[in-house]
Amino acid sequence: MTDGFQMVGIRPVPPPERGRPAPWYRGKPVAAAVVLAVIVLGCLCSELLMTKDPTYLDLANCNVAPNREFLFGTDAMGRDLFSMIWYGGRVSLLIGILATAISTVLAIVFGAASGMASVWLDTLLMRGTEILLSIPGLLLVLLLQALLGPANVWTLSWVIGLTSWTAMAKVVRTEVRQLRTSDYVVAARCMGGGFFYLLRKHLTPNFLSSILFMVVMNIRSAMVAESTLSFLGMGLPLEVISWGSMLSLAEKALMTRAWWIIVIPGAFLIATLLSITSLGNCLRKQANRKARNL
Amino acid sequence: MAEEILLDVRHLTHVFPLGRHGSVKAVDDLSFQIRRGEIFGLVGESGSGKSTVARCVMSLYRPTAGEIWFQGVNLCDRAACRAHRTMLQRERQLIFQDSTSSLNQRLKVWDIIAEPMRIHGIRPPRGTYRAEAEFQMHYVGLDAGYLDKYPPELSGGQRQRVAIARALSMEPELLVADEPIASLDVSIQAQIVNLFRHLQREHGFSILFIAHDLAMVEFLCDRVGVLYHGRMVESAPTSALFQRPLHPYTQALLSAIPIPDPRLERSRTLQTFSPDLASLDGVLVKEEPDHFVLREGGRP
Amino acid sequence: MKRSILRSIGIKVLVFVVSLLILSAAVFCVARLAPGDPLVSYYGDRVEKMSPQERAWAEDKLGLNDPLTVQYVRWLERAVQGDFGISYQYKMPVTEVIAQRMGNTLLLGGVGLLLIFGGALLLGSFCAWQEDRWPDRLLCRAGTLLSCIPEFWLSLLLILVFAMGIRWLPSSGAYSIGGEGNVGDRLVHLILPLTVVVLSHLWYYAYLVRNRLLEEVRADYVLLARVKGLPRRAVLFRHCLRSAMPTYLSILAISIPHVLGGTYIVETVFSYPGLGTLSYESARYQDYNLLMVLCLLSGAVVMLCNLAAQAINERIDPRIRGERSGMEQEVRTP
Repeated sequence: MTDGFQMVGIRPVPPPERGRPAPWYRGKPVAAAVVLAVIVLGCLCSELLMTKDPTYLDLANCNVAPNREFLFGTDAMGRDLFSMIWYGGRVSLLIGILATAISTVLAIVFGAASGMASVWLDTLLMRGTEILLSIPGLLLVLLLQALLGPANVWTLSWVIGLTSWTAMAKVVRTEVRQLRTSDYVVAARCMGGGFFYLLRKHLTPNFLSSILFMVVMNIRSAMVAESTLSFLGMGLPLEVISWGSMLSLAEKALMTRAWWIIVIPGAFLIATLLSITSLGNCLRKQANRKARNL
Repeated sequence: MAEEILLDVRHLTHVFPLGRHGSVKAVDDLSFQIRRGEIFGLVGESGSGKSTVARCVMSLYRPTAGEIWFQGVNLCDRAACRAHRTMLQRERQLIFQDSTSSLNQRLKVWDIIAEPMRIHGIRPPRGTYRAEAEFQMHYVGLDAGYLDKYPPELSGGQRQRVAIARALSMEPELLVADEPIASLDVSIQAQIVNLFRHLQREHGFSILFIAHDLAMVEFLCDRVGVLYHGRMVESAPTSALFQRPLHPYTQALLSAIPIPDPRLERSRTLQTFSPDLASLDGVLVKEEPDHFVLREGGRP
Repeated sequence: MKRSILRSIGIKVLVFVVSLLILSAAVFCVARLAPGDPLVSYYGDRVEKMSPQERAWAEDKLGLNDPLTVQYVRWLERAVQGDFGISYQYKMPVTEVIAQRMGNTLLLGGVGLLLIFGGALLLGSFCAWQEDRWPDRLLCRAGTLLSCIPEFWLSLLLILVFAMGIRWLPSSGAYSIGGEGNVGDRLVHLILPLTVVVLSHLWYYAYLVRNRLLEEVRADYVLLARVKGLPRRAVLFRHCLRSAMPTYLSILAISIPHVLGGTYIVETVFSYPGLGTLSYESARYQDYNLLMVLCLLSGAVVMLCNLAAQAINERIDPRIRGERSGMEQEVRTP
C-alpha cells in the first residue's frame, strides 16, 4: 500500500464483555421435552420394555381389561397393548417425520420456484394449487393409494406428504417474493448464481425461521392424519402395528365397552402431540425474538 | 493513441409500464462512452434515471430501445449475452447504495467475499476461500478480525468495504457503483472515495460512479455526465465541466454547491433553472473536444 | 370507473367458471383412474354372480365402455342443462340425494361455524384481556391440549362417556326414528357432533385472535387511549378488536371450507347422515355422478371463499391491489 492513503478512524474492535449467562433451561418447555424424550426413547428401545411379543395373537385372552399380566389390556385379537404401544410408536413417529420431510421439501422447492418465477407463471401455479386443493382429500388419498400400491409405512408417508404441502408452499412463496427484490439476491443473480444455489444459500436461511413452526406443526398433523386414515380403514393394515392401526379397532371396541383400546393409544398419541406442540411454540417464540433483535 | 472504449451506450431508452396509469420514461435517448481505466461520473437529481442506467448496464433491466456494447458484446442481444454469459458475469460488478440489504445478514464476511468465486467455481489461488477473502479484505483496509463477523455487527462504511471487496474479488473490468456513498456519513464518505481512487489506480479498472454529490464527483472522476429527467444534458472531462459549464442546467447545479466559507456563500446568488421540457428535445452537440452539450435542434 | 368494476367482476366470474370446468375434468379422470368397480355400487353383491355378458351389458347401460372424453362430453352436455345423472348407490337423481342430506350438514356445519367464530372471538378477547394472568395461562394450556386431540378420538370418547356410560345423549343419527320434524329431538342428536366440531377448531381461532389482539395492544394508539383515561376493557373491545376484525374476517373466509370439509369425520363416527358421509361413500364405492357433483360443490365453495378472502385482503391492504397493476418491475437474470 502506498503512503498518502490513510485510514482515518479505523481501529481494531475489542471483543465484547460477556456477563454470566442465564441458566439455559429458563423459559424452555422442560416438561414437554422430558415427556417427548421418554416416549421416543421408549419406542426406540422397545425391545427392553416389551413384556410380550406384540404380534402374538393370544386368542385365549381377547379383550381383557388391564391387569397385572397385560399392563394395558389386550385388543380384540389378543395382542398385548403395552408391548404394542412401544413397538408401534416407532412406526407412528416415523410416518410423522417422513411425511413432514416430504411435504417440506416439496413446499420449499415449489414455493420458491413460484416466488422466483414471473408474475403470470406464479399466478398459474397458485391457481393450479388452488384447484388441486379443491379436490377432496379423500379422493386424492384413494387415488394415490391405488397408484402407490398397498399401504405400508413408505407409501402412507408419501400419501400424507403429497396432500399437505400446499399451505407451507404458499407461505414460502410469499416470503420468497419479498426476498427476491432484496439487493443481495439481485447481486447473487448478477454474479451468476443458479436457482438451486440461490435457494440453498440465500433464500432458505432467510425464510426458514418463518416456516420452522409450520414444519413442527406438520409433524403433528401428519401423525393425526395417519391415525385418522387408519381409523377410516385407509391407512396401515392391522398387521402393521402403529398407534393409528390400534385405533382402527376402536369403533368395534365401543360395542364391547373395551375402553382401554380407545383411551390408551389415544392418550399416548395426545401426549406426544402435546410435547411436539410445546416445542414448536418455543421454537417460534425464539425465532420471533431473534428477528426483532436483528 | 485512441483509448479503447469499454462501455458504449447508444441511444438508451427505458420505459417503465405502470399498468393502468400509463408509463414512465426513466431514461430517454442516452448516449455516453466509458474508456478502459477511466472513472466516469453520472450525476443528477433524484429521479433523473441514474439507477436505471446502472441496472440497464448490468442487464438487470432489458432496455426498451437502444444498444449497450460492453467489450464488443451487445447487451441487448440475448443470444450474444447467453454466449458470453460467464465473461459478462465476471467483468461487470455492481455496488449497491444500501450496504445493509446488499449483504446477506446470515452469512459471515469471508463467506460473502468469497461468494463470486464460489459461484463460478474458481479455485482460490491462496488455498482456501477464507484465505482468499482475507487477502481481498486487506485491499479494502479491513483486518482479519472481521472475517468471522456478520454484517449487522459492522458499521455502514465497513459493510460498503465488504461489498467493494466482494465486487473486486472477480477483478472486473467495469465496476458500476450506484450511489455507494449516499447512505454514509461525511467522514466515511471521504474514506470510501479515497479507497475507490486508490484501488482504481492500483488495479486499473473502469468505474461508472453514480452520485448526486458534485463535490465528491469532482474529486474522484475523470469525466462527468449530467442527467436531467433521463436525458444527458452535458458530458465533459471533470475540469472542463466544473470550470466552464455550458448547459443552463449544469450551471444551476454547480451554483448550488455550498462553499464552506460562510461569507463567500452568503454573497453568492443561486442560479435557477426553469425546466421547459420542450428544451430537452435536442441532440448532444460537440461544442469542444470531448465536451458534449444538449442543444435544441442542433446537429451532433 | 363503472366499466372497470364490471370488467374485473366479469374476469373473476370467467376464471371461476373455467376453474370449475378444469376441476370437473380433473375429478372425472381421477375418479375413473382410482380402483374399484362402479358396478358394485349399482348392483351390490350381485356383481359377483354376473356372467361376463351380463357385465358387459351392464357397463354399456351405464355408459362406462366409451372412451373417457366421450363420457366427459356427455356428462357436460347434460350437466349444463341441469341433469347431473343418477347416483348408482341410491338409484335416485343425484340432486335429490344431495338435497336430502344438505340440510343436515348445513345445520351441523353452519351452527358449528357460528359457534366457533363467535366463541373464538370471545375466548380470544378474554385471553388477551387477562394476558399472562392465571385465567389466560390456564386457558392456553387447556386450549393447546384440546387442539392436539384428534377429532375421531374425541368423538369416540364422548360416545363412550355420554352415550354408553351415562346414557344421556344419543350416539348416532340426526334424529330418532319418526322424529324427523321434531326440533327438540334434532337438537339432542346434534349436541355431541356439534361439541366435537366446535371443540376441535375453537382453540386455533381463539389463539389467532388472542395473538392478533396482543400485537394490537402494543401499538402506540392504545397508549394514547389509556393516557386519555379509557379503561382497559373499553380500549380492548372498542378499538383493538375493530382493528383486528378485517384480518379475522379474511381468515374466517379461508377457513369455511376447511371446517365444513372436516365435518365428514364427525359425521362418520356419529353416523350422522350428511354430505360428509355421502362424499366418503361415493369416493369409496365409485359412485361417479354423485362424486362429481359433490366435488364441484366443494370446489365452488373453496373458490368462492378464496375470492371473498382476497377481496377482504385487498380492501385492508391497498398495497396488494397496487402490486397487481404491474408496478412491480421484473428483475431478470443477466
